[in-house]
Amino acid sequence: MRLKSTAIAALLLLPTSVFGHSKAEQTTPGNNTTVETVEMIEIRFDDPMRVTAISLKGPNGDVAIVRETGLDPVTEFRATPESAMGAGVYQFDWRGLAADGHPMQGSFSFTVAE
Amino acid sequence: MTGLAPIDAWAIAAILAKALEYGTALLALGGPLFIVTFREAHKDVLRVARSIAIAAAFLCVALIALRFGIRSARISGMGMDGMTDTMMLGLIWESPLGSAAVLRGLGTLLVLAIALGGNVASLIALIGSVLIAVSYTQVGHSLSDPRWLLVGLLSVHLLTAGFWIAALAPLHQAARLEFAGILLHRFGVVASGTVPALVIVGLTFAWLMTGSVNGLFSTAYGWTLLTKMIFFSGLLSLAALNKLKLVPTLENGDEHAASKLRRSIKIEGFFVLLILISTATLTSVTTPPVNL
Repeated sequence: MRLKSTAIAALLLLPTSVFGHSKAEQTTPGNNTTVETVEMIEIRFDDPMRVTAISLKGPNGDVAIVRETGLDPVTEFRATPESAMGAGVYQFDWRGLAADGHPMQGSFSFTVAE
Repeated sequence: MTGLAPIDAWAIAAILAKALEYGTALLALGGPLFIVTFREAHKDVLRVARSIAIAAAFLCVALIALRFGIRSARISGMGMDGMTDTMMLGLIWESPLGSAAVLRGLGTLLVLAIALGGNVASLIALIGSVLIAVSYTQVGHSLSDPRWLLVGLLSVHLLTAGFWIAALAPLHQAARLEFAGILLHRFGVVASGTVPALVIVGLTFAWLMTGSVNGLFSTAYGWTLLTKMIFFSGLLSLAALNKLKLVPTLENGDEHAASKLRRSIKIEGFFVLLILISTATLTSVTTPPVNL
């Protein structure tokens, strides 16, 4: 019984499958930065990421953005605001599927100066 | 904390569903291994092993489907509606999770052959066991290099884990039967041959994923692993109690030993559940230190 339990413990304690998921390396605008204008929103990943959902919230609620990048896995994701962004604090949220199949999500914030 | 992904309600649902899927997959793949290894065991013991393997195989398929739905909800950001979003489900199907699901589903189907009995059926079920184990090498860090080393390590890891976990309920059943000590003794003999291999496999994985002692104490991955170690310690303590006290008294004919052993096996099952949840957490929301 001891051996059985030891075996189970040894098996389950130690790492099994873990995910080497790609992660967001850099963003434009950078996280917690202040910018004059925003022409393009970019996220760069260390491995290809299939970005499946994005949203941008500003001082007046949701902001319409257009994906320049499709649903194919990319290392550089780009989207543009439909219209000029007014001053205020914005938060960009994204969700995606990493190359290893792992669901990923992230967000970053920036401020558009008056 | 370093290397910790955002945890929302869907992430928690994903962890729980994954833990349950781990459990059912291990029970399904381990059942045939137990039955073939101990084919001379009492028919009641084999019946329990067979019934659990079959039930686990069906449940595993259902959980695979549920995990697809949860993953779809997570990547779509649409909540419940996202669970059935065909486009998102299609993307997941095209991902490594899709190929893993196919292998795992096929494996569980083959495991059902254990219901038929006989050598050919047993062989088919064993192939199913291998497929289920290999399916887990189609996703996650096993896709990294050295690819085939990781595939081999993880496959052995899961096959042996399944074997032991699937043995819990049959041994629980056996403890109420006469001559239970014989089966427990045989189990110990088999385990004495496999435990060293398990430890080597596990330590190799731990080294590949953590890379340093510092990684244990500075990352979410490390702390989750340490949490698992607490459960591991509990399991080991219980195992020591069984080995040093309960099994000898059972073999000596103590009439109370069987019930104590059965209770102890139940608690072992509880520890296994905790360990599965820790493992699911480890593989869902933390990043190994070597990848940070």
